[in-house]
Amino acid sequence: MTETSERDTGRVNELRLPALKIDQGRGRSLFTFAVDGKLVPEIATVSRIRRDRNTELHGYQRPEVLSHVAAIRRYIETDASPLLPNAIVIAFDERVRFESAPGDVPEAPGYVRAGTLVIPLIDGPEHERPGFIVDGQQRCAAIRDARVDRFPVSVNAFITSETSDQRSQFILVNSTKALPKGLIHELLPGASGALPTPLRVRQLPATLLERLNFDSLRSPLHRMIQTPTNPGGYIKDNSMLRMLENSLSDGALYRYRNDNGLPRTGEMLSLLYNFWAAVQEVFPDAWNKPSRKSRLMHGAGIISMGYLMDAISHVRDNGQELVSTEEFVADLKTVAEDCHWTEGEWTFLDGAVRKWNDIQNTPRDIQRVADLLQNRYRVPQLR
Amino acid sequence: MRFFFPDSQDQVDPTFDFVTEEHDPFRVRQRDDLYAHEVLTGAPFDGLLVSKAIVDGQVGSSAGKYTVAQRHRLYREGARRFFRLDHGNTPLKIMGDCGAFSYVSEVEPPYTVNEVIDFYHGCGFDYGISVDHVIFQYDPAASSDEAEQKGWAKRQRITLELAEKFRDRCDARGVTFTPYGVAQGWSPESYAAAVEKLQDFGYRHIALGGMVPLKSRDILACLAAVKPVLKDGMEVHLLGVSRCDDVPRFTEGGVTSFDSTSPFRQAFKDDRDNFYTPSRTYVALRVPQVDGNAKLKARIRSGEIGQGKAIELERKALDQLRRFDKDDTDVEAVVEALREYSDLWDGKSDRSSQYRETLTDRPWRDCSCDLCRKHGIEIAIFRGSERNKRRGFHNLYVFEQQVRARQARKDPA
Ligand SMILES: [Zn+2]
Repeated sequence: MTETSERDTGRVNELRLPALKIDQGRGRSLFTFAVDGKLVPEIATVSRIRRDRNTELHGYQRPEVLSHVAAIRRYIETDASPLLPNAIVIAFDERVRFESAPGDVPEAPGYVRAGTLVIPLIDGPEHERPGFIVDGQQRCAAIRDARVDRFPVSVNAFITSETSDQRSQFILVNSTKALPKGLIHELLPGASGALPTPLRVRQLPATLLERLNFDSLRSPLHRMIQTPTNPGGYIKDNSMLRMLENSLSDGALYRYRNDNGLPRTGEMLSLLYNFWAAVQEVFPDAWNKPSRKSRLMHGAGIISMGYLMDAISHVRDNGQELVSTEEFVADLKTVAEDCHWTEGEWTFLDGAVRKWNDIQNTPRDIQRVADLLQNRYRVPQLR
Repeated sequence: MRFFFPDSQDQVDPTFDFVTEEHDPFRVRQRDDLYAHEVLTGAPFDGLLVSKAIVDGQVGSSAGKYTVAQRHRLYREGARRFFRLDHGNTPLKIMGDCGAFSYVSEVEPPYTVNEVIDFYHGCGFDYGISVDHVIFQYDPAASSDEAEQKGWAKRQRITLELAEKFRDRCDARGVTFTPYGVAQGWSPESYAAAVEKLQDFGYRHIALGGMVPLKSRDILACLAAVKPVLKDGMEVHLLGVSRCDDVPRFTEGGVTSFDSTSPFRQAFKDDRDNFYTPSRTYVALRVPQVDGNAKLKARIRSGEIGQGKAIELERKALDQLRRFDKDDTDVEAVVEALREYSDLWDGKSDRSSQYRETLTDRPWRDCSCDLCRKHGIEIAIFRGSERNKRRGFHNLYVFEQQVRARQARKDPA
């Protein structure tokens, strides 16, 4: 398969790989083949962007993002069945050639031919390698570093001697837009394995959000959170995620994290259902309205209410039963008078006074509302 | 003499892997991380000093050391639980202050006496320091007119008025913490006068503020003036000591407790004195992360330096250091690897001879602290906060032992 052959000169080694040649039109061909990722550095290098003394531009790649490389490497080393389905894209120069396999294959369509791609192995400085990596430098670096013997990857290659051609291809592969955040979050609960670490960490809050939004029997927030599949919700998915993440790290949900086993999502959800049902009961006029009519449905309202859930749980929790809706209602009523979700004005601890609809979804205003509620709830217990 | 360590959320992550340099992705900051008093058998201090400015963020902005979620939890759970004071081997005390340096440029302190009492009382602190206003300058020769003109006398008056109010409000509210009154001054006499006033207000505990920028001999001169006016049994806390060599002499001057970040911060801020031992200090072995050194990163991004080359030299340096700790290579080979890499990221200072001393003496092998025993040479490597903070904790440990030892010599009883 990936054997090298001595040519008659005896000086040049070659890598001969089974490949398909695909004609894409106007004389342009694409070669697709498999190669052990550990061998990629021997046939292709990364063209780093830089300027020479005359400030002329060379190359096109950014430096490796070491944290991405580490995340992919960790995945390759630790996953039971790692998969890198995307092909690496390599631009070869004209030293690389394709040899068609002898004979016709009657069923094959006219645009594809089987054969062998012959890649010279150059024993010299890196920039004399016949190929440049146009896409996949982080993956190649991860395979290079991974403590595995080999990791074959699929490669799509084209042949050109023009740097400008390579640059255009580089821009084209990299200019596709990243997926919108909301879509990713909505897909997360039902995804498994093969996810980058930051997304795996978000999986739990996204799962809780999904239940809050779509449990029609128990959730008081049924269909109230705005996501790609539920565009009619008034609460921004981001606000709800923030609230959940705060409570998971520093609040009432933390204790159900269950370090060595699966998180106890059942308890987490019951607590959330109890709390938000209480919020609905205490603030019926502010419930389920667009945020321009109710600041309770706004980032500031959702996030500061989340802190209050944590505070009440802390005071009420006896370590045995979950805090009930009735208990949440009783304690929410103690701060209800200070809340002005739909009319009137807020008087904050720092002396600032704001009309109800002047509250913005900014860290400063969220902190003000959160501090006020926390303080009003806490002070009677202090004195 | 009791030593308090100012909290600035300095913790280490026990899941950190020194080889892959990765954290457990599911770790929760602060909760899964450990304080010095949790990783070391026997806390290297008697308590933490926690300031309102660090917890609540700088005045007028929300950018504090604490996330909003952490801050709410501190208020909710109280300091004992939040700082896990009983989780280590030695129970600790918590002292609170306002963090007066954060508002030194304001005309008046931004906190009311009641807010500050809410903070100390609400979080369940053991000691609380009155609201103060730092006088940054020191000039023993200044006349009272000058002190008035430059605003120093006004800052002292504000501090004393707030201390009086603080004392009254603490009594009226029946707080559970012990109140400390702050003395601010610009000369030995002005400090002494402030201390007398505070005693008149009924304080049995006094904190001396504004000492951080002072030289040791100036601090000693102030203590010499303060000591004669101190009533019997007064407790005196020295706020912020940057040079620790003179701590035993401060004791003679009547000081009963102090706080300092110096042993900790020197681990990664100082040019030379990074690693403490009972007899001397050593320079730490610098191997910055290719990704963590801003200057190097910019040069790589511009294409001036090859990233591959930088990574190769960084790995070689780490590899040599680790082999050295297994007695698998010699001092010169390590020094050479460090120099080669440093030519790339620094290019100015050659620390080879200092590195040679650190490597030859291998001070981490002689240290009995839990961290040196566990991490070996890694603790002497100047690189990323997990190593640097561990070295800081080690320094606190050595420092505490020194304070104890010197005191024992002075006071055989
Ligand atoms: Zn040590």
